Amino acid sequence: MWKSIVAYIPDWKVFALSLIAAIIPYAIYKTFDWIRTADKMKSGESMDSNQTTQAQDPNEWFTGDFAKDLEAVRHEMARHSDVYFREFQIGGIGLKAAIVFVEGLSDKNLIDKHIMKSLMSDYEECPKDRHRTNGNLSKEYILNKVLSIRKVDEARRIKEMTPKVLTGSTALMIEGLQDIFLLETSNGKSRNIEEPISEGLIRGPRAGFNENLCDNTALLRRDGENPSLSLIKFQVGKREKRDLVIAYMEDIAETKLVEEVKRRIRKIDIDSVPESGYVEQFIEDNYLSLFPQVQNTERPDRVIGALMEGRVAILLDGTPFVLIVPVTFSMLLQTPEDYYERWIPGTLFRLLRYFAVFVSFLAPALYISFISFHPGLIPTKLAISIIGTRGIVPFPAIIEALILEISIEILREAGLRLPKPVGPAMGIVGGLIIGEAAVQAGIVSQILVIVIAVTAISSFSIPHYSLGLTFRILRFIGMFCAAVFGLYGVILFFLLLCSHLVKLKSFGLPYASPAVPYRLSDWKDFMIRMPLLMMKRRPKMMHTRNPIRKG
Amino acid sequence: MISTPKDRITTPQSAVILINYVLGTGILTLPRTAAQAVKTPDVWISVIIGGLLAMLAGIIMAKLSERYPEKTFYQYSRDIIGKWCGGFISLLIICYFFMASAFQVRSMTAVTDFFLLEGTPSSAIILCFMWVSLFVTVGGINPIARLFEIIFPITIIIFIVIASLSLRIFEVDHLRPVLGLGIMPVLKGVKATTLAFAGPEIMLLLLAFMKHPNKGVKVVVVGIGVTIVFYLVTIILVIGALSIEGVQAITWPTIDLMRSFEIEGLLFERFESLLLTIWIMQMFASYTITFYGAALGLAQLFNKNIHPFLYGLLPIIFIVSMIPKNVNDLFKFGDFIGNSAIYLFGGLPLLFLIISGLKERKA
Amino acid sequence: MNCTSYSRSLLISLIFLGILFLTGCWSSNEIDKLSVYVGVALDTGKVTDIENKLEEQGGRYPKKDLMTSTIQILTPQAAGAANKGGQSKQKPYANISETGDSLFEMIREVSLRTDKPLIGHHLKVVVIGDDLARNNNIEHLLDFFFRDNDIRPSCLVFMSSGRAIETLKSKSPDDVPAFKIAGIADNQYRISKILPPMSLGKLKGEMQSGSSFLLQNVISANGEMKFAGAAVIQGKTKKLLGFLDEQQLNGVIWLTGKGKGGLVKSFDEMMGRLITYEIKSMKSTIHAYVDGNDISFRAVIKSEGRLIENWTAKGAPSKNKFLRRAEKAFEQEVEQMIDEVLKKTQKDMGVDVLGFGNRLRIEHPNTWEKVKRDWDKTFREATVKLEVKLSIEDYGAIIDSSIAAD
Repeated sequence: MWKSIVAYIPDWKVFALSLIAAIIPYAIYKTFDWIRTADKMKSGESMDSNQTTQAQDPNEWFTGDFAKDLEAVRHEMARHSDVYFREFQIGGIGLKAAIVFVEGLSDKNLIDKHIMKSLMSDYEECPKDRHRTNGNLSKEYILNKVLSIRKVDEARRIKEMTPKVLTGSTALMIEGLQDIFLLETSNGKSRNIEEPISEGLIRGPRAGFNENLCDNTALLRRDGENPSLSLIKFQVGKREKRDLVIAYMEDIAETKLVEEVKRRIRKIDIDSVPESGYVEQFIEDNYLSLFPQVQNTERPDRVIGALMEGRVAILLDGTPFVLIVPVTFSMLLQTPEDYYERWIPGTLFRLLRYFAVFVSFLAPALYISFISFHPGLIPTKLAISIIGTRGIVPFPAIIEALILEISIEILREAGLRLPKPVGPAMGIVGGLIIGEAAVQAGIVSQILVIVIAVTAISSFSIPHYSLGLTFRILRFIGMFCAAVFGLYGVILFFLLLCSHLVKLKSFGLPYASPAVPYRLSDWKDFMIRMPLLMMKRRPKMMHTRNPIRKG
Repeated sequence: MISTPKDRITTPQSAVILINYVLGTGILTLPRTAAQAVKTPDVWISVIIGGLLAMLAGIIMAKLSERYPEKTFYQYSRDIIGKWCGGFISLLIICYFFMASAFQVRSMTAVTDFFLLEGTPSSAIILCFMWVSLFVTVGGINPIARLFEIIFPITIIIFIVIASLSLRIFEVDHLRPVLGLGIMPVLKGVKATTLAFAGPEIMLLLLAFMKHPNKGVKVVVVGIGVTIVFYLVTIILVIGALSIEGVQAITWPTIDLMRSFEIEGLLFERFESLLLTIWIMQMFASYTITFYGAALGLAQLFNKNIHPFLYGLLPIIFIVSMIPKNVNDLFKFGDFIGNSAIYLFGGLPLLFLIISGLKERKA
Repeated sequence: MNCTSYSRSLLISLIFLGILFLTGCWSSNEIDKLSVYVGVALDTGKVTDIENKLEEQGGRYPKKDLMTSTIQILTPQAAGAANKGGQSKQKPYANISETGDSLFEMIREVSLRTDKPLIGHHLKVVVIGDDLARNNNIEHLLDFFFRDNDIRPSCLVFMSSGRAIETLKSKSPDDVPAFKIAGIADNQYRISKILPPMSLGKLKGEMQSGSSFLLQNVISANGEMKFAGAAVIQGKTKKLLGFLDEQQLNGVIWLTGKGKGGLVKSFDEMMGRLITYEIKSMKSTIHAYVDGNDISFRAVIKSEGRLIENWTAKGAPSKNKFLRRAEKAFEQEVEQMIDEVLKKTQKDMGVDVLGFGNRLRIEHPNTWEKVKRDWDKTFREATVKLEVKLSIEDYGAIIDSSIAAD
């Protein structure tokens, strides 16, 4: 009895492995935990340093002495070679005045024809006693009678004036007035509204956002008469301040969601925000994840569609890419065209896209696992032709696939960098010649070329560029899993991926919804796109304040 | 929309968890174990009876748990029979859960090793499997439920595909006569088939997490009902194709069913890869939930955070899973777990239900 | 600091992954480094010339020369070259013979003779020679195929009344004989002289149930193969008992109703001219009757088809009458075939290979329990009644004036 029990006690290797079983995941957990906490400590430190810099600001008030002030301004602007000063005398009264503006940023016409003209030649002497105080012009008189400019601010300090002038306003200094006027003359060059390059559609509006925030918000406003569209302005960037606008539908978007977006945006703490990608990375839920948790788009129609579903858009000045939160995996695989075309093609294209996703990240992994591990799971005739074509390839399937995959990735990267006329030529050289030659030389097999080509094409059909990147990375992980464990590795990889997806959230919304948890009512617009007649409600998962769309 | 403080799962999620837990080893071995016990083509009747018995046990357990909302069995067993007895029973159930998970991971390895990865050390297969499962379990019951909801439709779709493909070698004569030798052989098989439905015990824990705990009975009925259909289809197809005599002599009959035909021109030609895929996923689900059940039990028993127990259980499960030396030991191990399930969950919950009913009346 | 923490964690995970991959790839084996064998022929032991020479040089191991297994390996390089247009005279397959007693040992011995080890996933056919099958238990011969995890139960099993090795040879350089055999087995819809294919999976069931059964017979002459009748395997001994010829096999197909197409040839009784019937559908219902100890069967065979050849066309007297007469002739032909096969299997060989036992099991399970142990013997005494009904539904694209209208 005792003996038989002893016989069942595994040997020391099993015990050693059992320790590994616990230690390795614990170590991984600890590592990630450490990364997270390290990051938090870091951000805490930077907060402190910022507060100290702010305290050093000096206050320089205008004195009211024209020459002295002008000198001070000149001194302040000495570092900015593009700032121009123009001194002149007002009308007939001979008061000295000066305007300060930035060449190229301010509207030349406006300055010449309205500001200068109204001050110099059109200036009418007004009844003396009423508008003059101590021999000076009154502020109100200039504002109300002379300047025909729609937006005029006043500044009392040089520090107030400088940023405005540097963004295109014109400062007007008049002898005897302590305040200076800041005339809104900014006229930065902005791109026309063009078709978005990264999200082309056959059918649908041709308009895309440009780099100008005002144009972009105007595009949203112009979309239709809709008083519930709220645009809330923030400024981000500690050193270089930029405008950022949160757009949402007042009576649709969930209040909690809007508050959460605002909270996260206020927390952004960096000196400058060059692109909305920065914002995305600061507000996303899990930055260790491969999956994009914020949608970006250049299309106003897509933004409006999202707002109508109760989501929130974030527009940043200086970039055509607008962020939309929250986002789910399925949303990233939809295009506006799904709705513009009739529902049957819409549905079919959508299914096709899901299939393409599957192919784009699992096809090479499946190839490797079948070739290297499970020759018994491929059809006999196919097996014969694979053996025939692979006969002279000296590498194992994983190396073979890596060679080709990495070449394709390099090709893609190179194609992006190349000037447009060279691009297609490059594609031909890379794709055709290298592919063909590699097969001829026996480095890769023909079947693999087909697999990789299909994979690459499939990955192009993912409508969201960032998600495409995700799957490009995942493809490699999948290939490694397949190289170690074959089909079993692929299954585990898939399970791991799903585990990650179900844990992931975007602004509180489960990333995998509406697939899971099951929400049958949202499935009308998930893998299939039901006729619009049947989509009477907004997505339930968004917890909108007004769930009914129609009827 | 911002996540709720306490994890809650919906009613469909609970049903899916139950289904995924029950479907497991059974898909591959049930046809053989049942056929060996019954020896006539009436195996499918035994499956129905076994399923109904399991459903009954599940309903009792759901009813019991319903009396103690928001509490798992580990917590309320103390209220019913006192701290020490309750703790002891809980410990037994915890043992059951982690033994079951060790069995599942080991039988998964046995099949994978035989059909997919000959030559790979089973420790490597087991370790990776356990780690992936750990990754989802640390997230709590909600990610588990959602992951199962992904696995479930994949299983159903692939199962329907391969089941309809295997119809081409189906011969109805293999399933006849119905009750040719009377009801006795059928009854002999009931124990074997009931074991395949082991799984409703998860209701003892699951109800505490449900948004609507009063729908526990519904979950059991739907969950076991779906598994009955699954097993019924499997067993009918396997016996219809391989005959009752053939099935008894095959270690993994369902895989052999898939290997018994090739369909040229249908892209794959061979379909056991699909079956193995869904089966590994199902084993993953079964393993995950038993693993979680065991760790949850320990955590609640000692009133601590679940995470250290999740990590701490891994080596134990690994060692237990390595104990069976050969396939015979493995099957014996499975029988042992099945038998303990009958003792633990066949009678005990009913007893508890009666005791708690009496207590309530007194109070 | 942030940067270093990232790179450090990246480094850690990279090392971890590296270790995993270095130790990994345990069972990886590229498909092109393996030989796929698609057919196996088993014969009585007869050491081949090459083997003799190898043994002379010292290539021997302890064994009994019980059987010679011939393994058909694909040589896809040749096949691939042929695809590209290069005229290769090389055959797309190679046969390797090994003599010995353990099948597994013989297959592993091949690894000593070729750089690419054999894998059995794509084994399509096993052919057993009659000498071997007559003297050996087939279950033992095939045990390895049942047990192995590579070989799929979908592999088909055949018998050969000659030496099985011959069926794996072919004259034409394009054919792979194993594929050809498996392909011919699919031609059941063209002719009713092919048994439903017996796969290893099905065979396993037959072996377990202990009933007698039939295996398709494949013969070969000068590198040309043909399906010719069937081999009768006795359920008890699992040994070959004898062969049925093509006509008898045709009778088997008619009796079991397993045919999907084919023909019946007969002669018009009045004119003695040839008429042929094309089978469109075939159905056979067998009923078992138990009366005390007497067991009897009644088989009803129904078929619908078309008159596809008719040499009597001119001058056939009356139209529908002619069709009746033709049907009658065909029915007689079928009855005759069935009688012949019944006589041969039931009376001469004394085995039930026609599924009567199965009907008894389904219809009278209790009686079956009593007789199943010695069913072949009991069956010898059973009476079988036949009823054949063929109906001609149409007569093809030609309307003969003689049979067109009433």
